[in-house]
Amino acid sequence: MSPAAQPLPEGVQTHPGSDRGIGLFYTLVGVLLLTLVGGLARQQLLQADMHYEREQRQGLRRVIVPGPRGRIFDREGRLLAGSRPRFAVTLALDELGAEFRAEYRVVRDNYRAAAGKDQPTTAQLEQIARTSVVQRRLDSLDGILGRHTQLDQAALQRHFSEQPLLPYLLLNDLTPEDYARLVEQLPVNSPMQVFASSVREYPLGALMMGAAHTLGYVGSGESAGPPEDFPGNNLDTFQLKDWFGRTGLEQRFDQQLRGGEGGAIFRVTPAGYRINPPKVKITPSRGRDLVTSLDADMQAAAETALGDQSASAVALDVRTGEVFVLASTPGYNLQDFTPRATQAAVDDINARGAFFNRALDGYYPPGSTFKLLISIAGLRTGAFTPDQVMDTPCDGRIRIGNSWRTCFNGNESHGAISLSAAIAESCDIYFYQAGLLTNPDAIAAEARRFHLAARPSLELPALKDRSFIPDPAWKKNSGRGAWFDGDTVNMSIGQGDVQVSPLMMACFAASLARDEVFTQPTLLHDPGAPTQHHERTGLTRVQRDALLAGMEGCTTTGGTAPNVTNPKLPSYIPGLRIAGKTGTAQYADHGAKKNIAWFICFAPAEAPRIAVAVAVESDELGRNESFVGGTNAAPIAQKILKVWSDKQARAAATAPAGQTISFPLPSGQ
Amino acid sequence: MRLLNQISGQARPFFTLGVVALAWLVVPAFVKRFARTALFEAQAPALVTAGKVRQLQEYWALRSRSVNELIAAGSDTATALAGYELGVARLEQVMDENRRYRELLNLRPLPGWRYQHAGVMTRDFSAWWQQLVIDKGSDYGIPLNAPVVSADGVVGRVTEVHAHTAVVALVGDPGVRLSVVVEGDLWPVSYTGGDNPAFGPARGTVEYLRSDLTMEAGGRGRRLLTSGKGGVFPAGLPVGLLTRVEPSADGIFQNGEVLLPSGLSTLDNVTVLVRDPAPAVPMLPAAGGSLP
Repeated sequence: MSPAAQPLPEGVQTHPGSDRGIGLFYTLVGVLLLTLVGGLARQQLLQADMHYEREQRQGLRRVIVPGPRGRIFDREGRLLAGSRPRFAVTLALDELGAEFRAEYRVVRDNYRAAAGKDQPTTAQLEQIARTSVVQRRLDSLDGILGRHTQLDQAALQRHFSEQPLLPYLLLNDLTPEDYARLVEQLPVNSPMQVFASSVREYPLGALMMGAAHTLGYVGSGESAGPPEDFPGNNLDTFQLKDWFGRTGLEQRFDQQLRGGEGGAIFRVTPAGYRINPPKVKITPSRGRDLVTSLDADMQAAAETALGDQSASAVALDVRTGEVFVLASTPGYNLQDFTPRATQAAVDDINARGAFFNRALDGYYPPGSTFKLLISIAGLRTGAFTPDQVMDTPCDGRIRIGNSWRTCFNGNESHGAISLSAAIAESCDIYFYQAGLLTNPDAIAAEARRFHLAARPSLELPALKDRSFIPDPAWKKNSGRGAWFDGDTVNMSIGQGDVQVSPLMMACFAASLARDEVFTQPTLLHDPGAPTQHHERTGLTRVQRDALLAGMEGCTTTGGTAPNVTNPKLPSYIPGLRIAGKTGTAQYADHGAKKNIAWFICFAPAEAPRIAVAVAVESDELGRNESFVGGTNAAPIAQKILKVWSDKQARAAATAPAGQTISFPLPSGQ
Repeated sequence: MRLLNQISGQARPFFTLGVVALAWLVVPAFVKRFARTALFEAQAPALVTAGKVRQLQEYWALRSRSVNELIAAGSDTATALAGYELGVARLEQVMDENRRYRELLNLRPLPGWRYQHAGVMTRDFSAWWQQLVIDKGSDYGIPLNAPVVSADGVVGRVTEVHAHTAVVALVGDPGVRLSVVVEGDLWPVSYTGGDNPAFGPARGTVEYLRSDLTMEAGGRGRRLLTSGKGGVFPAGLPVGLLTRVEPSADGIFQNGEVLLPSGLSTLDNVTVLVRDPAPAVPMLPAAGGSLP
């Protein structure tokens, strides 16, 4: 019996090798395998590049961060503006899509169940859902931090409409304790993440509010983007906003202060974990530092002396033009602008008029300080000599044309006096006649020679230059009629249409100190800066001595500002001779008549190193009859000089043996 | 017809698998969670048994030591114990002083901790996660997110609590983040686990180190301790050694590399710190999760 004929045991099946069913199955499997292999080959070989790029996009994230902003120092290396870290919590909205949708359905169903007449639109429902979800996230943070924060719905809506792809800032300016709690209690892959950035910091902001206009503030904005050679242009990128200078030095030197952008490309796991270290890392570079010529001590002293008055003070290095002090009050605390100013803070600054930089953009008639220029103009043109006594001695009033003019300075008449005494006592009667002798065109020309008709350039953004020196041609051409003697006498005491700024008057004082006609001011400190040299005044030795004697007489007994060198007063600066000139003028400020009290000076009178100009605005005219330069402006300049003098003394005391601190005389003397 | 029957008969397992897979996709989330938990609980006895067997092995291995070795070990232990006794006495004295000062200053009393010792049943290390399963769970009052420590310092934190077991994410796990300080400094920085090489100790990274922080030249590194400000871990627990720092990509801070204790991969016993009373530290869900 053949084996084929034998019956098989129960449960055993046989399949002939040529079974059509099996063959078909094999074919099917083969086709499937071929399809798989073909597909694999297509994906791996033909579409490899595409998959590589997709993998890069899905698995890599690029973060671009701006470099820290450069710092701003005073001339002695004290930090005026720096950067500090700021911790915040951001919420990645793009990771909350499912949550938004679920909340949308809940909100929609609730409204439908309420069956009210005013059913919200789809857009309104979406907004409600978003707000609800984000507020819930915020509440959860509050739970960790033990605080209560209300979501700014308008800001959220604005963020959604303008930058939906960027994380939303939930909490800002966290304390180190808050930050530590969130680090430990927020999951690593939470859509809420602790995030650090740098913001501007002004360590002396409260002490130097009057320098806020000079330093300036910054505001955030979109940068131009990463450099072209920054890798990963095709990747999902999260770019942080950069800070830009909006005013003052921050604006003027924005390009220098801004840091170079850096960043990193991170690998992320499918679960969203960031894998350290980054695949590519480019360390951002800090912006270049700026060393200003400001002296924080002197600036603070000036601001303390100015107090809450509407006033300004400028102090310059006579030799180099470097600005020691540029103070304008009322000022504002730059710390209020970091990270950004609240509307309430801005409203307060506006209400106080504190945005206005009086030192730079305040233009006032110079009052009697202008008598120094009248003196120079008259002496140089030969209109009068230093020891000449005017035809009409001062008895308190003088008739000019058809009107009587008064000597505003001194309760008694000055009598027959020479130039030095006229300067020291600021006799108006003397200078009315001196101005008439000199003639207005010569005065205007001399003022322009001293650069009093145009603001000197300074490394700051400024408003329109409103400095002005009138002359007969201008009056005629502007349709204001003929020039009268009255115009000349007004001009002779720094009244009328003459307009100068405190910075200009400080430069004028520094120029007089060097016996030159111009001083170029600068806010940048250069330890090796040479002494400036410009056109000489052209005064003879005798003429200059008479001028300086008058200025020094101003600050001594019998002058208009004797207290600045009064040894009986606590503010006395031993051994410091001050050459100065007071001034008081009337001007209109938005229709209100006010006084402006001036004091300009340089010191030491025998070897000038520092020049100061102070201008203090009064309240409305009439209530301040005693509001004059000698009383209201000169003491402020004295306090600045006191700090400067103390520093000089300390420097001399600590100078190495054999080295002397010299006070070179101005050239030509 | 016979052919179709044959094919359908042979394809039935694949078909069944497909149906199950489809069904799993549409099963509600709570069912999946329940299934996962049930699976873990079902595995738990096996894990516990394996752990006990290992402990038994170690017990018998110790039994095989010679008497002289045991005597020497006992002597060493007695010496160490005497030192610890002195340390404990000193610690109690300092704690008493601290308590009195806090009372004088009207400061809140420091939170108390209960120490729950637990045996390690399994260790699960990979490049993506590092975790332990311990033999204590909700039956011993282990709360979620509780800190876990050992003699070397921080071990990790509890990420899952089951009836008789709990899962601990090790400090080298990329999902673990702590608020730490560099020894001798007060500035809190962020530590995150992450770099887990196949051979050798795990590593972590720190962010937000002060830019003026420097490493001691030639030193092994600077110790990182828990800051105690994060609300989860008490202060002063060693985390690892800060071995390298470099400027961070933000240009403000420095980042650093942390070497973790090598003993983490061979732990047999750990201690879970349970707040007394034991409030669960609120831990927020990740994206898409529901909030408490």
